[in-house]
Amino acid sequence: MRSASLKQNILLRTPIVACATLFALCATIASAQAFDEAKYPDWKGQWRRFESGGVKYDASKPRLAQEAPLKPEYQAIFEANLKDQALGGQGIDPTYTCLSPGMPRIMNMYDPMEIVITPGTTHILTQHIHDGRRIYTDGRNWRTDLDPTFAGYSIGKWVDTDGDGRYDVLEVETRNLKGPRTYDGTGLPFHKDSATVIKERIYRDKSDPKILYDDITTIDNALTRPWTVTKKYRLVDNPQPVWIEAICAEGNNHVEIAGEGYMISADGLLMPTKKGQKMPDLRYFK
Amino acid sequence: MWARTYFTAIAVAATALVNGAVAFDDAQYPNLAGQWSRLPTPGVGGQPSFDPSKPWGRGQQAPLTPEYQAKFEASLADQAAGGHGGQQGWSCRTSGMPLMMTLFEPMEVIVLPATTYIRIDMYNTQRRIFTDDRKWPAEIEPAYIGYSIGQWRDQDGDGKYDVLEVETRGFKGPRTLDASGLQLHDDNQSVIKERFYLDKSNPNVLHNEMTVIDNALTRPWTVIKNYRRNSDPQPVWVEWVCAEGQSHVRIGTENYYLSAEGHLMPARKGQKAPDLRYFK
Repeated sequence: MRSASLKQNILLRTPIVACATLFALCATIASAQAFDEAKYPDWKGQWRRFESGGVKYDASKPRLAQEAPLKPEYQAIFEANLKDQALGGQGIDPTYTCLSPGMPRIMNMYDPMEIVITPGTTHILTQHIHDGRRIYTDGRNWRTDLDPTFAGYSIGKWVDTDGDGRYDVLEVETRNLKGPRTYDGTGLPFHKDSATVIKERIYRDKSDPKILYDDITTIDNALTRPWTVTKKYRLVDNPQPVWIEAICAEGNNHVEIAGEGYMISADGLLMPTKKGQKMPDLRYFK
Repeated sequence: MWARTYFTAIAVAATALVNGAVAFDDAQYPNLAGQWSRLPTPGVGGQPSFDPSKPWGRGQQAPLTPEYQAKFEASLADQAAGGHGGQQGWSCRTSGMPLMMTLFEPMEVIVLPATTYIRIDMYNTQRRIFTDDRKWPAEIEPAYIGYSIGQWRDQDGDGKYDVLEVETRGFKGPRTLDASGLQLHDDNQSVIKERFYLDKSNPNVLHNEMTVIDNALTRPWTVIKNYRRNSDPQPVWVEWVCAEGQSHVRIGTENYYLSAEGHLMPARKGQKAPDLRYFK
């Protein structure tokens, strides 16, 4: 009897000890791991713009028929810009001097993107022109003491929309932007007040994990209403993708002198970009 | 029954362990989070230098070969006359390695199992140090920042990594070691080895022991760079866009300045106006 009782006791104790040991192990692991990677989506790898050919802000529409809901004042600015571009100028597209494209144009993805997820920040790394982003997901509040930037200040929130215990959507809001910025190379303008607010929802295609979407809604005083487009990216099928170092200033043959755009010829001389363009003022040379 | 209970308990606990399984144990790695800035050496003035314990330029006592010593002297002479010498930063090209690690602007180090990322917002520099045990690629697309492979070490055997050893190859140029124009060899065959580790007595100080092997040098040159962590948990990352307010213009082989009102002006005494033959 005693023997049976002892045996029962041992058996009773054994699972308790086993459980205690394993849960203690679990607890140790949990406390040691601040970053539970399994809670976040796997967006590792190199992402490229889905569409081939020329870059368009709304890839579903032709380059010069984006149907941007511009107010008449900004539609006029856009039209004047197109005329200048037709004559050989840059219009109001500021990036030819290697100025950052800023948001939301960064997400046009001229060069490949890597998304680096950490609990406090999601980094959007792209090499094109000064267009790395930090999306803070640490629960912080908006700050009012910061200088505006081309990329803006982004706060994000991870959402588990399907309730499977793993985040699947990153919702982002970006404010505190500065200009000049355009949506793309055609010169679609933002309001001069730079009071743009940009909302994004970044998520993977449910049926094709090699496709990523970014629903971008832009709220800007140059627009008659919020403008939503969906950007699409494809995953490069290479576990060790090549990351090309993009240096805008390298080989850039555009020069701006006194607000006028010029080009450097193949033989290294200054040349006009449009018919009849005047030579620069050389008053400082004797 | 007890046996069933036992196995059920084990199974439940094991399932919990597996379901909660985490691919990345960040406790294995040193805490390098935050914003790191250059930690100046007291008493060493002037521009930030490659060897932070010595003044920039001639004060560096760089072990240059005679050919590159002559290039260095020519760079200094050109700078004294108003030129840029061998220095490249004015052109808004990236500093590249190893100059970028002097930290003219703050750095963020993001440690993940397969890659450690170094973000420096000056020139939008995004350096990847691959720690996934990959081999050197047969062909490397040359880059100013090179191609970096790293390995984590647990030097004191406490079960936690404390040193990141890195080797970087695959460069292009021109690159310099500091703003005086201490130039690396034109063959771009540099190999740079680094050892990153936190200071044992102050975890808010990070050291980078860097050795440059380059054909412009008579021997490998080792220096220790020191960085300090910003105590602000939400540090400000200033957007640094080189082209913004850029006042340097290069036309052909000549450098010019832009005046405050945007007009072209000479950068040195007696400099001729640019050739405008393409304007009528």
